[in-house]
Amino acid sequence: MEFFNLIKPEIALDALPTIFTGLLITLLITIICGILSLTLGVLVAFGRKSKSRTLRLSLGAYVQVFRSTPFLLQLVYIYFVLPFFGIEIPPLPAGILALTLHYTAYLCEVYRGAIEAVPKGQTDAAKALGMRNRVLMVRVILPQAIRTIIPALCNYMVSLLKDTSLLSVVTVQEMMFRGQIYAAETYDYFTIYTMVFLLYFAVGFPGVKLVDYLENRMKKGYASRSVVTSSEETLTARGEKR
Amino acid sequence: MIKIDNLCKSFGRDEVLKDICLSIDKGQVLGIIGPSGSGKSTLLRCINNLEFPTSGTVRINGKLAYRDETGKAFSETEISATRSKVGMVFQHFNLFPHMTVMQNVYAGPKHVLGLSEKEFREEAIALLESVGLAEKRDQFPEQLSGGQQQRVGIARALAMKPDVMLFDEVTSALDPELVGEVLGVLRKLSEAGMTMLIVTHEMGFVRQVADRVIFMDEGRIVEENSPAEFFDNPQNERTKSFLASVLSHTD
Repeated sequence: MEFFNLIKPEIALDALPTIFTGLLITLLITIICGILSLTLGVLVAFGRKSKSRTLRLSLGAYVQVFRSTPFLLQLVYIYFVLPFFGIEIPPLPAGILALTLHYTAYLCEVYRGAIEAVPKGQTDAAKALGMRNRVLMVRVILPQAIRTIIPALCNYMVSLLKDTSLLSVVTVQEMMFRGQIYAAETYDYFTIYTMVFLLYFAVGFPGVKLVDYLENRMKKGYASRSVVTSSEETLTARGEKR
Repeated sequence: MIKIDNLCKSFGRDEVLKDICLSIDKGQVLGIIGPSGSGKSTLLRCINNLEFPTSGTVRINGKLAYRDETGKAFSETEISATRSKVGMVFQHFNLFPHMTVMQNVYAGPKHVLGLSEKEFREEAIALLESVGLAEKRDQFPEQLSGGQQQRVGIARALAMKPDVMLFDEVTSALDPELVGEVLGVLRKLSEAGMTMLIVTHEMGFVRQVADRVIFMDEGRIVEENSPAEFFDNPQNERTKSFLASVLSHTD
C-alpha cells in the first residue's frame, strides 16, 4: 500500500490531459511510421532483387548502415547534423523520417528473409507446372511467406510504438516528452512516470499478446486454417462439403 | 519425343553432366539408374530447364526447347509453355502446403492455363480418382501420408496433360510400405502409354516397367540397354559392381 500512497491523485489528474494528448501523438506517429515503413519495406525488398546493380548496391548499403548504427544516433544526426548541409527539418517530421528509415531497413529484411525461407522445392514445382515468375510469386511463395511475415511485422510494430519515446530527445511532443516536462515542473517523478509507464503498457501489452497469438496460430499448420491464408476457393470448397 | 545432344552441365568447376546424348520415343519408359551424384537428377532437371545446361541442346517434339543453337535462352513465356508440357514429380513431393489436395491439382490448369475451377472440376476429380485419392480432396498435404502426398504430386503434374513425365526418385523419401502404392500409379501410367523418364533405385520396378535402361556414373551414360540385358548381362565393369552391391542389399 506504500506504493499507492506515493501517487498523488491531484497531480495525476492535472497531468492527465497533457499526457493523454501525448499518447495520441505517440499513437499517431506509430501509425504513420508503421504504414510508411511497411510499404517502403516491400519496395526496398524488391528493389534489392532488381536487375540494376546500382539500385541493388545502394539499397543494400542503406539497409546495412541503418541496421548497424543506433537509432538514437540516426535521429540526432537527422535533426542536429543535417542543418549543417542546409537541410533543416522540424522535430516531428525529423522524428517520423528517422523512424521510417530505421524500420524500413528492418522490415525489408523481414520480407526478404520470409521469401527466401520458402523451400526451393516450391519454386521448382511451380515452374515445372509452367507457372511464370510473377504468378509463382503471388500464388505459391507469398501465401507461404506471409505466415512468417505477419507475426514478425506485428512484433516490429510494438517495437516501433516503444521507440517513438526516443523522439523526446528532439523535442517531439509525444507522451514521453510531455511526461518529462511535467515531471520536471512538478518534481513528482513518481506519479508522472508511473502514469506514463502504465499507459505505454496499456497499449503495448495487447500488441505483445497479439504477436504471441499469431505465432501460435501460424505454427499450427495449414489444416487449421488461419485467417491470413484462407482464400475464397477454400471457403467455397468448405461450403460445398456442408 | 525428346532428343538430347551433347548436353553438358557444370556447377562452377564441378562437371555434373558430360556430353550426354539421349533420345526417348513417344510412349517409351526410360529407367535411369546410377549411384548418387552421378548426374541423374540434374539430367532430368535440364529437360524442363530447372537447371540450364552449360552447353548442348534439348529438343522436345522436334523443336529446340529453352534455348537456341547459340545457347541464347528463349523468353520466359516460351520456356514456361514448354515446361507446362513436361510433367515432373519430385523426391520430396513439393506439394503446395497452403492449398488443399484439390487446389494442388487445380494449380496448373488455373494459374498457367487460366481455366476456372468449375471448368476443370470434373477432370480434377477424375485425376484424383485415378490415383485413389478423390475422398481426400479437401484435405491439406500435411494431413496425408508420404505415399498419398506423392500420388497427389503425380495428379498435379498430370493435370497439365503433359507429353512426358519426369520422375525424380519419387519413392526415395517414402517409408518402405508406402512405396508400392506410388509405383502402382507409375505402372498404370506406363500401361496407358505415357512417355516417362524414371530416376529410381527400385531395380525390380525398372526391370518390369522400363523399355530401356541407362546407367549413369560421374556425369556420363555408361551403359544403355533393354532391362533384361541390362540386369542379366551388364557389360560395363562399373555397372556390374553397382548392380552387385545394390541387388545384394535388396535380397
